[in-house]
Amino acid sequence: MAGQSDPHLSVFSAAEVEFLAEDEMVEIVPNMKMGPLNFICGDFGPFRPQIATEVPLWLAVALKKRGKCTIRPPQWLSVEKLTQVLEAERDSPREFQPLPFHYVEISRLLFDHARDDIPDVYMVRSLIEDIRYVRFSKVESGLETISGRTHAVKLKNLSAMEVNIVRPFVVRTLQAFYKHDSPQMIQHPDTAANRPPQVADRGPRRDLRRR
Amino acid sequence: MASGSEQGLDTATEDYDSLIATTDVELLKQAWRNEKAAPEILQFQASLIQRSREQIQLMEDTVEEFTENGTDPLTVSLYQMDLDRTQFLLRSYLRIRLQKIEKYMIHISRTNELWNRLSEQEQRFAKRCTDDMEKHLKQSVLSRLPYGYQSILKQSISSEEDDMVPEPQLDTFVFCKSKGSVGAFQLDDSGDEIVDLVGDDLYVLRYKSIKALVERGQIDLV
Amino acid sequence: MYGKGASQLLKELSSSEPGQLKNFNTDIFEEVIKECITHHLALQSLMRKIQEEGLDIQTTRNADHFGAVIHHLSLMRNKRCLMAYVYHRAEIIQSLRWKVGPVLPEEIQEKLKYSEEEYFRNHSAALMEYISELDLDLTVDMVPPKDPYIQVRVLDDIGFALVGDQSLNLTLHSMHFLKRTDAEQYISQGLMEDLSGS
Repeated sequence: MAGQSDPHLSVFSAAEVEFLAEDEMVEIVPNMKMGPLNFICGDFGPFRPQIATEVPLWLAVALKKRGKCTIRPPQWLSVEKLTQVLEAERDSPREFQPLPFHYVEISRLLFDHARDDIPDVYMVRSLIEDIRYVRFSKVESGLETISGRTHAVKLKNLSAMEVNIVRPFVVRTLQAFYKHDSPQMIQHPDTAANRPPQVADRGPRRDLRRR
Repeated sequence: MASGSEQGLDTATEDYDSLIATTDVELLKQAWRNEKAAPEILQFQASLIQRSREQIQLMEDTVEEFTENGTDPLTVSLYQMDLDRTQFLLRSYLRIRLQKIEKYMIHISRTNELWNRLSEQEQRFAKRCTDDMEKHLKQSVLSRLPYGYQSILKQSISSEEDDMVPEPQLDTFVFCKSKGSVGAFQLDDSGDEIVDLVGDDLYVLRYKSIKALVERGQIDLV
Repeated sequence: MYGKGASQLLKELSSSEPGQLKNFNTDIFEEVIKECITHHLALQSLMRKIQEEGLDIQTTRNADHFGAVIHHLSLMRNKRCLMAYVYHRAEIIQSLRWKVGPVLPEEIQEKLKYSEEEYFRNHSAALMEYISELDLDLTVDMVPPKDPYIQVRVLDDIGFALVGDQSLNLTLHSMHFLKRTDAEQYISQGLMEDLSGS
């Protein structure tokens, strides 16, 4: 089962990240009457027509597919909010805006299964795309700053899918620096300290000890 | 508990959150994530697995009953989905552990601390695996090498330590999220490496340095 | 050159597709085993020579000593490579139980050497024993579950058919909400397309 790949470089598959995202709660408005559902993962309902209630995303999508409800998109998934986020992402090259940890998967699932419930869905979708793109280029430029001196990397507000994408590269890079830790390979401490603050090395630093 | 009050007081929400956060499914998911992301095998979650299996059993019975007494297919399909999700987590959790045992069987068999993290069934599996692997390696390589070079653990009779046993890399880097505020945390023994772990922050750190926090459940690997 | 064959074995491993096996390279493998024995003989004769000359084997640092060291190190390196070769293949063999099942198809089996086949059988048996003790099949649910029902569109005029436990009129372009397991045979034959999860 282990296969050949280092399990560390691909901890979660895309399907597994989506599985985790499906447990995020969303609000639905049922159009039918149904008693409470007492699941292993929790109790939901009862469901009454036109009375909003919170359920996990997987349940919301299942009900939606069966024509039993509409899904209320989360507040952040609106043209207004996302426009603000996008601007803020562009204005702060070193930071990520707070978005749900699973914003990529949640929005994708809703685009796939509940597009008629999202006002201005085309606009919303393209805003999400833009945000992903801006954030990803920030990740890339942040990664360029990883060096042998990086001991702890702080990635505040990075989302699950983004983590998954950068994981192989970050882990391999940090590992390589760790392994090849030698004075020649490490930049001079002064230049490192004078660099502007950046995504990738807010953590404390020092030379890794030679072993 | 759910009195239906619409006030949504902060305290009520917090209570609700912590209640939600401690369902067995939530715990199982956490155990699954940590086991998936940690380079070494973690403590077997015996009572959690026991409880999860009981709940799955109950739910299987319920779904069967539903099918028999003609409950509407919609409801049945939803219960089935809930059941499928929990079963996937359980199976996947157990599989990842097997995967680690397969990968590091010799090391685990020879390290008390690790050996004691396995369930009894896993221990029997590990024992058999190790025997089979040893037999295979002896048969195909070791028995054909000259005297002094036949050990499975050492490169040669003159090696001082067991220098042939594959071990997990504990100083690999992992992605983690602190649940609450952990506070200033020492990254190494010498104490000149401190990081302030604030709630919900995302970090990439060396596994070795946060191992204890993972074991205590203060930090989640993601 | 010492160690050339051994490194060839490892190159072969690293040039294979991840998780895929090539034929067990018996020729080179045997060559390396032979090389090990030759190293050992040379090593022993050098040690004997040192002793015959009445020198202390622990402290002597003459040409014979360093020659012996080279043979010793070469032998260890060969051993590591041989072990890595067999061990690495054994790891792939372990994974086959999960990917392929308890019986290996001919084309994989012929790539294994005898003790590898035996290892596969033993390891599978160990796994099956664990699974039966556990009383929970771990070879299913390999990926996260999806909704057991899917939306499909019919791509051919199939007409009335018994799907699961209901009779449906599967006319061209009609859409249905079916159990994934019931729809799969139609999908694989190209008679329906899965509309969910786009």
